[in-house]
Amino acid sequence: MLTFSHLILGLFQALLLLAAAPLVSGLSRMIRAKLHTRHGPGLLQDYRDIAKLMTRQDLTPPDSGFAFRAMPAVMLTTVLVIAMGIPMLTRFTPVAPIGDLITIIYLFALARFFFSLSGIDSGSSFSGIGGSRELTMGVLVEPVMLLSLFVAALLAGSTNLGAIGTAIADGHVHSATATIVAALSFAYAIYIELGKLPYDMAEAEQELQEGPLTEYSGPSLALIKWAMALKQTVVVAWFVGVFLPFGSASGMTFFGLLFGLVAFAIKLVLIFAAVGVVENSVARVRFRLTPQHSWVGVGAASLAFVFYLVGL
Amino acid sequence: MIPLSLLIMSLLLSCGGAILCLLLKHREGDIRLGGSGVGIAAALAGLGAGLTAIGAGQPAVLDAAGPYPFAHFVLRLDPLAGLMIAVISLLSLVAWIYGFAYVREYAGRGVGAMGFFMNAFIASMMLVVAADNAFWFLIFFEMMSLASYFLVIFDQDDEAVGAGFLYFLVAHGGSVLIMAAFFLMANQAGSFDFAAFRAHPLPAPLDSVAFLLAFAGFGAKAGMIPLHIWLPRAHPAAPSHASALMSGVMIKIGVFGIVKVGIDLLGASAGPAMLGWGLLVLAFGAVSSVLGVVYALAEHDIKKLLAYHSVENIGIILLGVGTGMIGMALHQPVLAVLGLMAGLYHLLNHAVFKGLLFLGAGSTIFRMHTKDMEEMGGLARSMPWTALSFLVGALAISAIPPLNGFVSEWYTYQALFAAALDGTPLVKFAAPIAAVMLALTGALAVMCFVKAYGIMFAGAPRSRHAEEAREAPAAMVAGMAVLAVACVALGLLAPLVAPVMGRIAAATIGTAPVTLAVGTTLLPGDAQQATLSTPLIAILLIAMAFLPIALKAAFAAKRGGDRKVAAPWAAGYLPDHHMPASAGSFAQPIRMFFAPLYTMRRAIAGRWTGIALGFERVVTLARRTEPLADRSVIAPIAGAVDASGKWLQVIQAGDFRIYCLYIVAALIALLALAV
Repeated sequence: MLTFSHLILGLFQALLLLAAAPLVSGLSRMIRAKLHTRHGPGLLQDYRDIAKLMTRQDLTPPDSGFAFRAMPAVMLTTVLVIAMGIPMLTRFTPVAPIGDLITIIYLFALARFFFSLSGIDSGSSFSGIGGSRELTMGVLVEPVMLLSLFVAALLAGSTNLGAIGTAIADGHVHSATATIVAALSFAYAIYIELGKLPYDMAEAEQELQEGPLTEYSGPSLALIKWAMALKQTVVVAWFVGVFLPFGSASGMTFFGLLFGLVAFAIKLVLIFAAVGVVENSVARVRFRLTPQHSWVGVGAASLAFVFYLVGL
Repeated sequence: MIPLSLLIMSLLLSCGGAILCLLLKHREGDIRLGGSGVGIAAALAGLGAGLTAIGAGQPAVLDAAGPYPFAHFVLRLDPLAGLMIAVISLLSLVAWIYGFAYVREYAGRGVGAMGFFMNAFIASMMLVVAADNAFWFLIFFEMMSLASYFLVIFDQDDEAVGAGFLYFLVAHGGSVLIMAAFFLMANQAGSFDFAAFRAHPLPAPLDSVAFLLAFAGFGAKAGMIPLHIWLPRAHPAAPSHASALMSGVMIKIGVFGIVKVGIDLLGASAGPAMLGWGLLVLAFGAVSSVLGVVYALAEHDIKKLLAYHSVENIGIILLGVGTGMIGMALHQPVLAVLGLMAGLYHLLNHAVFKGLLFLGAGSTIFRMHTKDMEEMGGLARSMPWTALSFLVGALAISAIPPLNGFVSEWYTYQALFAAALDGTPLVKFAAPIAAVMLALTGALAVMCFVKAYGIMFAGAPRSRHAEEAREAPAAMVAGMAVLAVACVALGLLAPLVAPVMGRIAAATIGTAPVTLAVGTTLLPGDAQQATLSTPLIAILLIAMAFLPIALKAAFAAKRGGDRKVAAPWAAGYLPDHHMPASAGSFAQPIRMFFAPLYTMRRAIAGRWTGIALGFERVVTLARRTEPLADRSVIAPIAGAVDASGKWLQVIQAGDFRIYCLYIVAALIALLALAV
């Protein structure tokens, strides 16, 4: 049952993640610079960027309307709400009525809806293409996410993310192979969702997944940059909470939560370091070939499903 | 007896309205006012009838002697019929409000006739769901098809007449199959009363035959793939408020028929074959939902796009109904109620948001005089209320939380999950696949409605008409507003609505209700499986929105004022109105998505080919497969009817002497028989 302290915990972890998100994206930039053997910006560069953009003028294209103006706030809000529903410091979901795998997937669709719509609304052709590509990526990864989580949920007997994580942490899933394959396919879907190379390139904003950002400036751009960093962190936390819940608190004790926080931070840093290495050692895949890759994800998720069916 | 008296009141008002519309056909101003007034009154009475029937414990039955001994005129208002009547009434209420202003578009082209057919259409739909006798059911089913046929051909142009003819054929082909199914049951029961059908169930192989006949017949009415071919042509041809009724309500009569035959009439006594029926419904639902939205994405005509989405949503409803039937077959009452309730909830939700979207499309067409989205653009500025309503509908149909479409899809997922958890091996295999299809459908629907809303309402105007557009008249906005509020309410108040849907499903199946909500939390029978709280999501979304607003405000003192720039960035070129995303270019990358789907299909057939040609192939494939049913099923029937008509012309020479000869011949033949 949802209690007040759970709600506070959810709020706390959402705000904590919001505060830490530029740090995580700063880490990614630092790793990239190291791998390129250049000096690169400091760890805190993204905080400085956001603070600077906040004081810049907000420019809007002439034909843009409500959707364009509302998008940064809608995006950040949605990702914050999602962050409340995902188990991070604890095994269980802080706000259980959000922490359902289907609800989380569809809340991401809310962010995606407005993100892409703002692309059309800006009236810029690059933004429109970016919006269309963002949605196409959604079409490609959502079924993979759903199937791999569905398999894990079937093994745990619940679609609540915390319940799945608890079952995995306690070893209550009777099909280890299926769990591992499901985790791999989910990790793959998550990786695509992160918008990193080889599927996307955050530096080349004009035509790719970040395309809808083309026309944004000033505080709006700052909010979106922040929301996107938060989204990347939340997406990784999603994977960690379901498939790598080891170390998180099973109750609401102070030291349990503290230990959970440390464990969560370590897992996050390790995963982003690994993602940084992968991202910088591959070349960009042509967008039109992305589906070929995403079929690997579908295949892996289906394999997990088959393993579940035969009980391996 | 309150529900029945209200229903009869509503029907009498509809009849009165129909006659009024015919009598006043030369005074169109009076028709608009009188017709809408009477229509609204009839709809309110119908809404009362439906809601009281849902609330009442026992079904209300009216048994009047008919003119024929085999055709008792029996009306029965059980909770399921109550739900259908409430849905029909809600949509007709809105259609009448909207129509008050909208029919001006048709001034001088027979507004009276339109009012007559609208009334007849609404009344016959109500009678179909209330009838408890197969004979009258078919009569009213025919009336419904005919009334809507005349609404489809209202424009009288080639497209409308062609679409109407196709619709006419499919509708009647369907009703012949339904008739055959009812005859099988009547043969066993010795009566045409549904009560007798329930009392004398068909034996084992025959019940499957009857179900398959009825499934095909009602499936054609519902527009499920591959029997959908008429739907994307007929619905766009009708006036928009009639399209809203057809897409929002009439195709649901098909689903109602499947539930009626599969669960109410045959389900209680069906043997193990019922598992097969459930899986069949599930499979058709999954295919319809994915292909419906795929075809929708390729459309530029907004009404066609919406019509294809009806095919998709019928698929989603069938997923729920199929899961319910599987639950019945497996003797798992919780699963059965969960599945059917998900289907019925989505039925209600789809009626509301599809009605809303069709009315929104109608408003833009009313101002733009085109159905082509590429001619619109930027309408959010000139038609803000229409845009807002359409956006609510678009979010709801894309199953975005916390709106109503999400709640019913969530229940559908949970029903599929429950089926996958405790089903037979075949069900365990099928249910997760259906869930993946639903996820795919959801992602594609988001894309489709970002495109629809974006191209129509966002960005810059794409034509001169779009620049000069004005907001739709107040009555039309009011009609849309009612449905937009309903979309929000059915989502946020889901903890109140879901248990009602659960009770309707439980009463239809004949089992105990299932716990579907505790306080503000929704749960699929078991809180361990999952929980959801749409009010909480709404509250958190609103509360969290203060954060970005506050962040922006905190720095406001330090920055210059906001301003509009001259033009969007266009790589240094002068931007023009051909540059922004168009309906075609926006959906184009979907070829990336479909190529592998079709490639996989070809790979299975042993012909693996590259992705590069994917899109062209998808298009050709889609073009080729879609009219397949058209060519191989509909065209021969149409040809045969045509030919037999020509043949019959031979005996109609037009000479009265020959007709006299016929009469004499007939008399002699009859006399000979009598002697």
